[in-house]
Amino acid sequence: MDGFSKYLVRRVFQFFLVVFLGITLAFLITNLSPVDPVEQTVSLMTNFGATDPRAVELMREALRELYGLEGTVLEQYAAFWSRVLRGDFGPSLSSFPTPVMSLITAALPWTIGLLTLSLAFTWTLGNLLGALAGYFRSNLALKLAGAAVMALHPVPAYIIGLVLLLIFGFAWPVLPISGGAQMNLTPGFTWDYIRSILIHGTLPALSLVLVGIGSWFISMRSLVSNIVTDDHVVYAELGGVASRKIFSQYVARNALLPQLTGLALSLGNIFGGAVIIEFLFNYPGMGRLLIQGIYRGDYSLVLGVTTMSIIAVAVAVFIIDLVYPLIDPRVRLG
Amino acid sequence: MRLKRMLAAALGFAMMALPVAAQDFIADIPRNETLIIQGPASQNAEWFNLWAPGGGASNNGLQQLTADTFWWINPEGTGETAWTNALATERPSYNDDFTQMTVKLREGIYWSDGVEFTAEDVVYTVETLIANPGMNWSAPLTVNVESVEAPDRNTVVFTLKAPNSRFHTLFTVRWNAAWIMPKHVFETVEDPLGFANNPPVSLSAYVLHSYDPSGQWVIWRLRDDWQRTSIGMTVEEEPQVKYVVYRNAGNPDARVIEQMNHNLDVINDIAPEGMFTIARQAGANSAYWFDGFPFAHPDPTLPSVLFNHQVEPFDNRDVRWALALLIDIRAVAMGSYRGAANLAAMSTPPTGTAITDYYEPMQQWLTDFELDTGAQTIKPYDPTVADQIAALVRPQWGEDIPEDPEQLKSMFGFGWWKQDIQAATELLQRAGFTKQGNQWMKPDGTPFTIRLMVEGDNIPTLARAGTIIAQTWSMEGIQTQVDVAGPTNGQRLGAGDYEAATYWTVETWGGHPDLSFFLESYHSDFIQEPGAVQPPRNLQRWQNEELDAIIEANRTVAFDDPKVVELGMDYLKLAVEEMPFIPLMAYNKFAPFDTTYWTGYPSAANPYSASGPFWSNTRYMIVELEANANAPQ
Repeated sequence: MDGFSKYLVRRVFQFFLVVFLGITLAFLITNLSPVDPVEQTVSLMTNFGATDPRAVELMREALRELYGLEGTVLEQYAAFWSRVLRGDFGPSLSSFPTPVMSLITAALPWTIGLLTLSLAFTWTLGNLLGALAGYFRSNLALKLAGAAVMALHPVPAYIIGLVLLLIFGFAWPVLPISGGAQMNLTPGFTWDYIRSILIHGTLPALSLVLVGIGSWFISMRSLVSNIVTDDHVVYAELGGVASRKIFSQYVARNALLPQLTGLALSLGNIFGGAVIIEFLFNYPGMGRLLIQGIYRGDYSLVLGVTTMSIIAVAVAVFIIDLVYPLIDPRVRLG
Repeated sequence: MRLKRMLAAALGFAMMALPVAAQDFIADIPRNETLIIQGPASQNAEWFNLWAPGGGASNNGLQQLTADTFWWINPEGTGETAWTNALATERPSYNDDFTQMTVKLREGIYWSDGVEFTAEDVVYTVETLIANPGMNWSAPLTVNVESVEAPDRNTVVFTLKAPNSRFHTLFTVRWNAAWIMPKHVFETVEDPLGFANNPPVSLSAYVLHSYDPSGQWVIWRLRDDWQRTSIGMTVEEEPQVKYVVYRNAGNPDARVIEQMNHNLDVINDIAPEGMFTIARQAGANSAYWFDGFPFAHPDPTLPSVLFNHQVEPFDNRDVRWALALLIDIRAVAMGSYRGAANLAAMSTPPTGTAITDYYEPMQQWLTDFELDTGAQTIKPYDPTVADQIAALVRPQWGEDIPEDPEQLKSMFGFGWWKQDIQAATELLQRAGFTKQGNQWMKPDGTPFTIRLMVEGDNIPTLARAGTIIAQTWSMEGIQTQVDVAGPTNGQRLGAGDYEAATYWTVETWGGHPDLSFFLESYHSDFIQEPGAVQPPRNLQRWQNEELDAIIEANRTVAFDDPKVVELGMDYLKLAVEEMPFIPLMAYNKFAPFDTTYWTGYPSAANPYSASGPFWSNTRYMIVELEANANAPQ
């Protein structure tokens, strides 16, 4: 077995192990939740209305049977895995009897779209600016850009989001602050709809970009600052190689490898940040679904969203791992 | 330099592009025919089955605009005008022993698909709900109904399993009620619990126009045959609101911004600070329940300090009264609502008909009420609290605060208990408590500490009230820790997993003096053992023989019998004497309206409808609104 094959087998094994452990942990944590979905539904059904205590007890019994909450934790765990392998998370308890998978299918594209776009921007822009700042260290504009992104870096995403909401929603109201697309617009591959999605996604994405860009900038600048003093770069400079070529081929490419590893490691964190941003901007993605599920004690839904998130992040990391050998020949050659 | 130029160019482009990129708020619907209301997000947006548990967000317009039943009570109303016969032509008619109820139905009502509404729809609804446990209203109908019959197209007769003088309340809307199902739609469905009911056939004046598959908004359209509905028959002219948008407008700050940008005409609730921002910055285009401060609309619910009577020493009446007398209600009003609270000393919300039926007639009794502390007899009631709070907020709100004491009462409440540390000390001493330094010790010699549960950010005003009360009790020698329960709040209250809490266990019709709405569940028959789940609403598990006698007497009198008020007063007096929980105030909601496009919203001066947009009663507001002639075209 050559080096690449060994690498691949190891990564596939790791992928399945991470998914298995992550989902098992999610199952245990959601089952420990003190929020009882039956009580939440009873509360919704009796809220604001006259309540006959005998009827409430009857209601409680009926819902417990309807939701299928019988059985030990182990039995529920076994049933859960058998459903997951069939791509079925059962019915949502807070939106009974809609299947959890239907809710996730509706929300997932929004989150994938938001995260992919904002991550692509964050990673590309952060690394590009960081690399430029590390290479052209005396450039004033890059120094200012560095100061700005570093100042934003420690600020929590929801604070940035709130500030953007106030600026672009109130002081200069030119961008929508809520929702995923214009109301009453028919979804489809039309310019109006795509434009609407882009406009509505601007502020949530900008919040994630502004917060995320700093770490890529700082680490890339630091990497580049080290590489520019390496022998091969100094030699190239002395040999009269064009500085643009030195920057792109000798410096940036070498500095990019650890950044790719960092990208894989950061995906989980970015999803966590997106949950809050989606909630703040009322964005119809997985984050909002997750928070609603937690509040309603809907552990089918929470488990479904968490499982899909674990799989999505693990797949993304796996893909990056597969791409890695194409960039770094040392991995390819073992 | 090139980089700087590029950055400047990018910024300039963005400045120009953003306004150009802006779209209309709603596509293809005239804004000046559209009322935009704050609604909830719906997880399963495709669902419109009002009778399935969790089957869609019912308060996104579905219950307000498409559903109907026999009777409606305006929670803000008083007297005869608060009651509306909707699908029924007259009030409920019972036999002598309340085992049979007959309902006469209105003729000429049609479902939105052109099918006539008849008594068969009612019979089908009741039988289907009973046959499907787990459906909404299935349980109370199963408990009560022996049989239901339709002797003719416009008459329904319910035979009950046992006497129940309040059976009709199952079909009487305050927030919602048992809605009538379209028989011709549901009878073709195998599983009514698993039926999405999309699009819903409407029995009211609006029908579904479109909805967001992500659950962010739903748009409803006025029916062409709106006259053939019970609400259509109550208005003389065609409703001017042609479209109603229920939209999830995000967090409270976003709601304020959206209303100031004229993208949200009706807000359900925001924080006091948001309300004050709108009043100050957009006052010319806004309307409120009160014309000025305190702006807020009082819901017929009663936030209180609840005590778990199954936990010592809260089973002791002297301890509960002592804790009440330690509270400085002015600090609570200022700290929770920044003064904009409608205080309540009695155990019913000071709203709707309770003002004339209970609060006004009982002022003298409250003023004369004496409390024996063991060392002295005091008169704890202070009828001047409204004046005192007015004096506290006047520096900030100036001329908005009137001098007339009657007006002040409607704004801030009638009165509350005087803070009386000495009387509280005497009551605690009589209960066997001693004070060591600044710490009260229980009769068993251990420190008297309290964990005061609050829900948290979901109801910030009550969390603030709880925090202030905890501080006050701590300063007076009872170390009190605020316990934020978050989403487990309701469950912990139900299971009795708390010592004290700021929440409410009293809700009323608002527009009717009958207190059975909450009081029926206070009977000791329904009190559970510690740890078992208590049915709503006697979450304090208060058990009292006199209370049982009042409840049993109330069961035997008709809903509209004048004795209802007498029995209500008996309960209120008992609650003052026993102080089972400490009533604080009505649940004030800050629900401003944008008048840019619509005028004629309900107010304290003209309370013709509920103003909270999640309440089904909002339908009476929607058909009465008038287009603002000065609205942008």
